Parts: sequence; structure tokens; C-alpha cells
Amino acid sequence: MLSLLIFLPLIAAIIILILPNRLQNQFKYIALGVSLIQFILSLFIYFTFNSSALYAGINKESQFQLVEKLSWIRLDLGNMGMLEIDYFLGIDGLSMPFLILSALVTIVATLASWEIKTKLKAYFSLFLLLNIAVIGVFCALDFFLFYIFYELMLLPLYFLIGIWGGIKREYAAIKFFLYTLFGSVFMLLVIIGLYFSVSDPLTGHHTFNMILMMDPANYADGSIFSAVANLNLFGMPARLLAFIVLFIAFAIKVPIVPLHTWLPDAHVESPTPVSIILAGLLLKVGGYGIMRICYSIFPEAAIQSAWWLGLIGVISILYGAFNALAQTDLKRLIAYSSVSHMGFVLLGIASSTTEGISGAMLQMISHGALSAMLFFLVGIIYERVHDREIASFSGLAEIMPQFSAFVMIAFFASLGLPGFSAFMAEAFSLIGAFNSEQVNGLLPRWMAVLGSLGILLGAAYFLWTLQRMFFGQTYLKGGDDWRLKLKDLNLREKIALVPLVILTLALGIFPSLLFDKMNASILAFVQLISS
Amino acid sequence: MGGQAFLEISLIISLLVIFLPLLSFVLILIGKKRGGASMAIFSISISFLLSLVLLALYWNETPILYQVNWFIIGEIEFKAGILLNNLSLLMLSLVSGISVLVHVYSRSYMKNDHNIHRYWAYLGLFCFSMFGLSISDNLLLIYLFWELVGFSSFLLIGFWFTKQAASQAAKKAFIMNRIGDIGFLLGIMIIFSQFHTLDISILFGENGLINASIIKDNLWIFGTQQIPEIWLTIAGIGFFVGAIAKSAQFPLHTWLPDAMEGPTSVSALIHAATMVAAGVFLIARVYPIFEPQVLDIMVFIGAFSAFMAASIALTQNDIKRILAYSTISQLGFMVMAMGIGAYSESIFHLTTHAFFKCLLFLAVGSVIYQLHHYRDKFGLAFDYQDIRMMGGLRKSMPITVLTMCIASAALIGFPFTSAYLSKDAIILSAFEWAENRNKLAQFLPYVMVLTSWLTVFYIGRLVFKVFFSESKILTVNQLAEIKDPPKKMSYVLVILAFFCLFFAFSSHPLSYENSWIWNAFPIMLIQRNEIFHWLIPLILTSGTIILLIIAYWIYVKRATFLISEKNVFHRFSNQEWYVNHLYNNLFVSGVEKISKIFFWFDQNIMDAIVMKIAVFFKFISRVSVLVDRYFIDGTVNAIGSLAKFIACYAKNIQTGKLQHYLSIMLFLLLSFLILFYFI
Repeated sequence: MLSLLIFLPLIAAIIILILPNRLQNQFKYIALGVSLIQFILSLFIYFTFNSSALYAGINKESQFQLVEKLSWIRLDLGNMGMLEIDYFLGIDGLSMPFLILSALVTIVATLASWEIKTKLKAYFSLFLLLNIAVIGVFCALDFFLFYIFYELMLLPLYFLIGIWGGIKREYAAIKFFLYTLFGSVFMLLVIIGLYFSVSDPLTGHHTFNMILMMDPANYADGSIFSAVANLNLFGMPARLLAFIVLFIAFAIKVPIVPLHTWLPDAHVESPTPVSIILAGLLLKVGGYGIMRICYSIFPEAAIQSAWWLGLIGVISILYGAFNALAQTDLKRLIAYSSVSHMGFVLLGIASSTTEGISGAMLQMISHGALSAMLFFLVGIIYERVHDREIASFSGLAEIMPQFSAFVMIAFFASLGLPGFSAFMAEAFSLIGAFNSEQVNGLLPRWMAVLGSLGILLGAAYFLWTLQRMFFGQTYLKGGDDWRLKLKDLNLREKIALVPLVILTLALGIFPSLLFDKMNASILAFVQLISS
Repeated sequence: MGGQAFLEISLIISLLVIFLPLLSFVLILIGKKRGGASMAIFSISISFLLSLVLLALYWNETPILYQVNWFIIGEIEFKAGILLNNLSLLMLSLVSGISVLVHVYSRSYMKNDHNIHRYWAYLGLFCFSMFGLSISDNLLLIYLFWELVGFSSFLLIGFWFTKQAASQAAKKAFIMNRIGDIGFLLGIMIIFSQFHTLDISILFGENGLINASIIKDNLWIFGTQQIPEIWLTIAGIGFFVGAIAKSAQFPLHTWLPDAMEGPTSVSALIHAATMVAAGVFLIARVYPIFEPQVLDIMVFIGAFSAFMAASIALTQNDIKRILAYSTISQLGFMVMAMGIGAYSESIFHLTTHAFFKCLLFLAVGSVIYQLHHYRDKFGLAFDYQDIRMMGGLRKSMPITVLTMCIASAALIGFPFTSAYLSKDAIILSAFEWAENRNKLAQFLPYVMVLTSWLTVFYIGRLVFKVFFSESKILTVNQLAEIKDPPKKMSYVLVILAFFCLFFAFSSHPLSYENSWIWNAFPIMLIQRNEIFHWLIPLILTSGTIILLIIAYWIYVKRATFLISEKNVFHRFSNQEWYVNHLYNNLFVSGVEKISKIFFWFDQNIMDAIVMKIAVFFKFISRVSVLVDRYFIDGTVNAIGSLAKFIACYAKNIQTGKLQHYLSIMLFLLLSFLILFYFI
């Protein structure tokens, strides 16, 4: 099932590569069809997902669902033992929500790809490749496999930004690529270290199995990452160092302040569909990785660093919000708002409370949908007049009422209006952070108090933009020429936007749609890291 | 009362009350643009009738609670619930009743506006959120509706969004309310962290968890949970900050006067009668959480806002702005009353205020409506909201004048009006409360009396200037042409005027203790001082009459004005105590500057560091290229050259002559032998 979900796009990509170029206008329908099938599959997975505590997953291999485990590489290395890499997929409550999100965001991104006009064959093959990698990351349970998917995301993104991007596209692409590669190279070292520390209790061979890495009993005595041996590396505990290295790798993706500077450039220079994938899915890979890997494999190091992570979360919230307030480019504003919103994720995770982690999970799903929506909306304006300076527009609500209505929904949902998912998510991230001092003593209460200021600043920058661009008398920098070009939404655009609105409303009013499915896993997760 | 089936029917009724307006919101926005007005009026009328049914069924009965599971996080279950007690029933009927009237009024008032369907839709959303706010049993749900109320207010203030001022006012209202919301959220976090539930009935009921928690050694203890006592205080302040933002109390009051940019009918419904009362409602809902010191803050803020706003209202010229400040002032009375423990007095005043303030706005709306209409008709140009331009409307608009006078009488607490009962009750309680307090607290009742007299003066100024003085712009003939507004609007005024009189609330015209609303809520336990009960009303009323005469003399008889416009006090009042200036200079531009600094930092420090690192690596790579080319590659090349060099010479050995080869071989062999054996 999961393999089907992952490799469907591969089939489509091959078909697209085989088809002659004169059919290139049909490629987008192939991509759309594939993402629709993926969406249906993911819905099926959602409805059949077993949310009882017996299927919580996290650190118990037997509790994962839809598991596929095949031996993949077996290489006898002589006295170094057997190199054992498995093709190992499976989901639990932490990963399942991302499958739906991936499918949905991909549909929206595909619909946004209508605006791509050049080199369609290359574009859609790379796009589908990216799709494979993203879903693969969320399903992989073998660290090596995870790493392959993780790196596989970079390649298509580099070309997608570098070829179809804006004016400074090469610069943005290389910056993005090097930034993320920087993180993942060191990650590879930790992976190798873990491999030599952990062995499979059944076969006795070293293994890349993530779930086995979560059990301290599987570490060989005296191995570098053994919790018992507690070795030092470069003057600090090896496990803490490994945690930090992995955290930095994922934190670059999230992104956290101060590792965020690739994001505004990459988002702004990307074509709309890539911005949507970047903000909607890529950032979530970071958050997911922190939970699935950093926290689960090195829980005691995570607890040790919780205070710092919380602080980084709070700083990201406020720093991103203040920067967003200063922007004059709409897309850049939204990019910075992502930094702010993802700060809540980190704060929630750092709290290590059920409320905080539930909030963080919901925030990732919610932000995935909302940022996709926001970038899609910016793309609509940019596609029509090739300008997105806030000062170039005023009174848009008069000439594009439907568009403005969707912008209002997206803005208010993002600034945390109750009834939309972001409110529940941010509220519970903060409640979790506040609770932390009482439950586990990790985060001081003032962090939650400061974090809540982000909600106020969010209202400020979104409403200010709304007032400047959409209200007031109509004024367009390009005059009547623009007025003709600025047509209201067409059917395709509405089809892309409506599901996102429904998702964020549904999760805002009935958060149990998500909470129920992941509650058991989150409890198990909290159990794992606090034991 | 009894029977499961009966309870279920009441549940259905309550849900209908809440969701009918939402339904109308959705339906109007989805498609039915034409029938917007009828749809909205129909749904709100049904809601009103049903809430009257609920009122009749459950008034003064034991509270009814329905709950369903909402969601679960960890092991904690969140329940969505409806709580029907006196407070929620009163709010429900009050809000729906006033909404019906405003809906009917709006039908004429907003008739020629394009995009009018949006107006009806937004009203539906507003009513939905207000009803939800009134009867929810969960603090999180209340918060949800609380913000939705703010959101619908945003939409309605900015209804004429092409007007720059309107869109700015909408933004300001939302952001200032957001400040309060953060306080509210903080309160929720603290409560949740301490009690692991947000159910109002469990937390604040008679045997509620709040009362079960104790304070010992600076710790706030509940069961095994304990948290420093300061957080209880902060929770109280947090909820209170939420309330002052919504109820437009100092220092978060400046959004309300600006909110007058919205349609007048909206101002009447939202920014006078209902939404702004939500702050007082919230205080009432979570009342047990407030510690004595928080209550003292409440007293101070309420009294200060009441006085400040009244003093500002004295000199404003925009007719709606005067009323806006009057609203702030009256809400100050309610907040202050909550602070001194006069819970039922405060709620009583909330109710009477809703009616007379709504009437004031609607009557003023009629004036604006007619002046606007006739101004365009006569081809004149003047600001139809500026009271300096008005005058002489007494004969033209008899119904408006009469109802306006009744409402004003109620506002100043004239005998036989509703607010005579409620406002005097508050002032009386203030006197009784202050009796056993320190010197500072004893000022309080006098401040309230003074404020009450200021009220007389500003509303007298308004009414006299607009209706009784001579006309400034319009000629006698033009005045004669102006009529009362269309019938539907006038009917609404008359109905509201009825509710400004005492008999809607009490059988006894002069004693609030006979009022059914006052008796329905917990009554302050305080030493009753009989002298106050006749002396204070007497003083207040005589002062009122004297002031009315003075105002009449100044504004109608045109006696020379006592204070010039250049006077410091006049300027201070006219500029609204310079609060807006202060905020703009301090916070608005402050935040803007901070954000610029942050962005500069991001560009020139954060990103620059990354770029510097990139440059550094580029440099390293250049160096390594050089090293590679001249050192490593150079070595390789050198080896190559050496080989070539050797080859150059070595090739000479290969002559092809056998004797040369033989002699070389011999030479080498001999060398080896010598090396091997002799050395």
C-alpha cells in the first residue's frame, strides 16, 4: 500500500518521459491524476487507520501499520559484519497525518503548475520525483532508506527552483541546496555511528532500523552512542552531540532562527507550485524528523536541550513575526510568517507534553494547508501582473471580490482566528508550553507567555496587509492595463482553494478528526521521551 | 420540569437559536443574494422567539447543562457544552431582542447600499457568535465565539471598506481586541494547567473547583497541583484584560470611537448594546477567579474609564463619537460595579443600558439618515454627523425627538426611567462599599456622582444642539420639509423607548430592589445604609435638573460659552486625552521601527554571516585550486617532466649497436658484483 503510494508518481514520471513532446500539454493532467489517486489512497489509509493504543507505533515495531519490510542490501563485509539495509516502511499516528497532507498539497501544487509554460517534460518529471521523495520520507523506518529519500528531495528542488524560478533563481537554488546539504552531510556521520552502535537482537548484525535504535538495549556495550557507556566526543557527550547534529539538520528545514535565511530567498524565487511544496511539505519534514528521529532516538539528550529548543521556538515566533511586519513584498511576508508559525511547532515539541505535541502536530498540518493556500493566492496575483509589491495594489476587494474573500479566509485562518485549525494548534502548543513547568519542569512559563505575543503580531502583519492591499480605494500601479489583467478567480483556482479551506475549517471545529487518530501515538511518544 | 424528552427539546431549541443565524450567513453568502434581508430577519426573529421560550422555561430554575465530547488530548477530554442559567438566558434574550429590532431598522436604513447581502450575512455571523458566547459552557468555546464576535465586528466596521478610515478602524478594533484576547488566552492556560478542565460549570459553579482550591504559603493549591499564587492573580488580570478590550475600557478603549465608521445600525447593535457588553459578561462568567487585588484594579479601571470618557464626550462634535464615549463611560460603571461586588447591579445596568444606548444610536441614525438624504436633495455640502451643523430638528422629527429624549433621560438616570433604577443602584453600592475602606476608596462614589453629572451635561448638549437650538445651515423651509424617518424605523424607536422606562424592569418606579433582573442574581452582602437609599437619589436628581437647565441656557438660549476652545482642559478633552497620539507615537511607530530593525538585522547580520561563510569557502576553494594547480599538479607534472628529461638522455643509450649493449651490460654486472661483494 505504502509502496504504491510512493511509487505511483514514478510510473507517471516514466510515462511522461516516454511520451513525445507534442503531447506536453497533457502532462499536467497525468500529474494531476496521479495526485488524485494518491489522495484517494491516503484517505483510505486515514479511514482504515487503527487508532487504538495497541497500534500506537513509535518505538514498537509490531505496532506499526501497513508495514512493508524486505531485505534490500545484504553485503558481507568480512570481519566488519554484515551490511544490512532494509526496505522498511510503516506508519503510525505521527506519520499518517502527513500522508494526507502530502497528497492534498501535491494536488494544489499540481493545479498551480498550470502556469508553468516551458520545458514541461522536465518540469513534471522532476515534480513527480519530488513527490516520491516527500512521501517516502514520511513512510521510511529504515534510517538509510530515510536518508535516501531525504536527499532525493534536494535534487529535483534544486532544478525546479534553478530553472523555473524568478530573477535570482540560481542564487536561491544554490543557497537552498548548500544550506540543506550542510545539515545532511553531518547527519550521515551520525547515521553511520548509529549503525555501528546498534545491532538487531534477532540476527546480531548491525542495522539501520530506526525503531531498534530507540531501544537502549540494542546498543552494544562501549559503542559510541551507547547510553550506558556515555562516551565523550570532542569533549561533550557523544549522544548529545549526535542529537545536536541531527537537530541542526532538521532545524534547517523547519527552519529555525538563525538557520532560516535560505527560506525567504528560496520561497520568493521559486515558481508558485514549488513554493507551495516547500512551505507545505518540506518544512514539515523538518518537524517530523525532529520528533521521529532526534527525540525518539536520543530522548535524554532532547530533555537536556529542551530549554534551548523552547527558547529557539519563542525566538523564531517573534523574530519571524517582526520580520514579516517589515516586508514590502507579499511573498516574502508570507515566507517570514512561516518562520513564525513553525516556531510554535518547535515550542510545542520542546514542551514534551501531550498538549504541546498534539498542538505541534496540528500546527504542522494546519500550516501545511494554510501556507499552500497563501502561496497559491500570491501566485495568482503574480501570474496576472508579475508584481507582488504590497504598495503596488490597493482596494483589490473591489475588483477581485472572490479572490479577496479567499485571501481574507487564508489571512484570518493564519492569524489564528478560532474556528480554523491554526487557532487550535497554536493554542495547544502554548498550553503545552505553559503546562510544561508543572508536568515535567522543562520549559519556564514565560516562554508560553512570550510566544502568545506572536499571535498578536500575526494579527498585526496580516491585517495591515489586508488593509493596505485589499481595502480602500482601488489603485493599481499598472493602471488600466492591470485592471484588465486582474481577473477574478477561475474554476481551476477555486477547485484548488476550496479543499484547503474545508480542511482548515474541519480541523478547527472538529480537531478530533486528527487528535483521535494520533492520540495513542502521542501518548506513547511522550512516554518514550519522558521515561 | 422533567423528562428526558423535554430536556432534549430544550436542547434542540437552544441549538436552533444559535445556528439559525449561522445558517442565514452561509446561505446568503453561498447564493441567495436577493432575499438576504428577509432571510436574516426571518432567522433572527425565530431565534428571538425561541430564546424567549427558553427564558420562560428556565428563568430562576436550576441551571441546565448539556455536554458532548468534543475532542481528547492525552487523557483529558474536552467537552462542548451549553449552559443555561439566568445569566446566559438574559444575554440570549437581550441580544436576540435587540438584534431583531436592529435588523428591522436596517432594512430601511441600509436600503440603497450595494453589496447589501454581505451586510445581512455578517449580521447573521455576529448573532451566531454572540449567542454562542452567551451560552457556551467551555472556556475554549467561549474564546472561540469571543474572537468570532470580534471578527464579525471587524467585518461590519469595515463594511464600507473602500473608505480608508473605515478599513483602518476595523483593523484597529481587531488588533486592540487581540491584545485582550491574549490576556484571555493566558487565563485559559493558567486555569487549564491548574485544573485540567475548562468547563465553566465545573470551575465556577457553586461547589466549583476554584472555590475548592486554597492558597497557602504563597502557593495556589488544588489537590496535588500547586503553582505560585501570583499565577492566580495573573489569570484574573488576564481575563480582565480580555474584558477591558472588548468593553473598551481604558487603556484599550481607543478602538471604539473609531469603530463608529461602520453603519450606524451596526454601531447600535454591536458597539453599544451587545458586543461591548460581552466584556462585562465575561467578568460575570468567571467571577470567582478574581482575587481582591484584581477586583480593586477593576474598580479603578472602571471608574477611571467612566470619568475619562464622560469628560471627553463633553467636547466632541461628531454625534456618533459622543455616543461612543458615552458607551465607554457607562461600561465603566458596570466594570466598576463588578469590582465592588455589585454583581447583580452591574448586570441590571448592562440590560437597561443595552436598550437606551441602542435607542440613542438608532435615533441618531435616523437624524443622520434624514440629513444625509435631504442634504443631497437640497444640494448642500456639510458633514451630516457634525452637531455644529445641526439644529432645529425638534419640529421636523417629533417621534425621533421624543424617543431621543426618553433615551437621554434614561442615560442620565432620570426618575421613572430604567437606568434610574440601575445606575443609582450602582452609585448606592459604591457609597456603601466605600464606607469601611481607606481614604482613597472613599473618593470613588464622588467620582461616580461627578461622572453622572458630566453625563447629564454632554447628552444635554447633544440633544439641545441637535433638536432645540436654532438651525445653523438649513433654512426654515428646508427644515419644514424634513420628516421623521420611514415608518419601520420609527416603530423600532418607539418599541425601544418603551424599554427605557421603569415598568419593563420593576413594579416600583423608584426602587431597584423590586426589579426582577436584580433579584435573579447573587446580591452583594454589604451593610445596608438606609440614609443612602433616599439621600443619594435625591442629590443626584436635583443636580441633574440644575445641570439640564444650565445646558439648556448655554446651548439653546446661546448664553456666552464659559470655556474657550483654546483652554487647556477643553483641548485635552477634545483631543481625547491625547491617548491616540500617545499610542501612535509609542506603540504603532515603535513596533514599526522594531520590525525594521529586525529586518535590517536579518539582512545585514544573519544573512550576511551566511554569505561571509560562503565567501570564505570560495576563498578556500580558490586557494586549493592554486595549491592543486601549482603544487599537487605541479609535482605530478614535475615527475612527468623528470621522466621526460631522463628519457631524453636514456634514449641515447638505445643505439641499436650490439657492442654498446654488451659493454653496458658488462659495466652494470660488474658494478653489481662490486657493490654486492665488496661493499
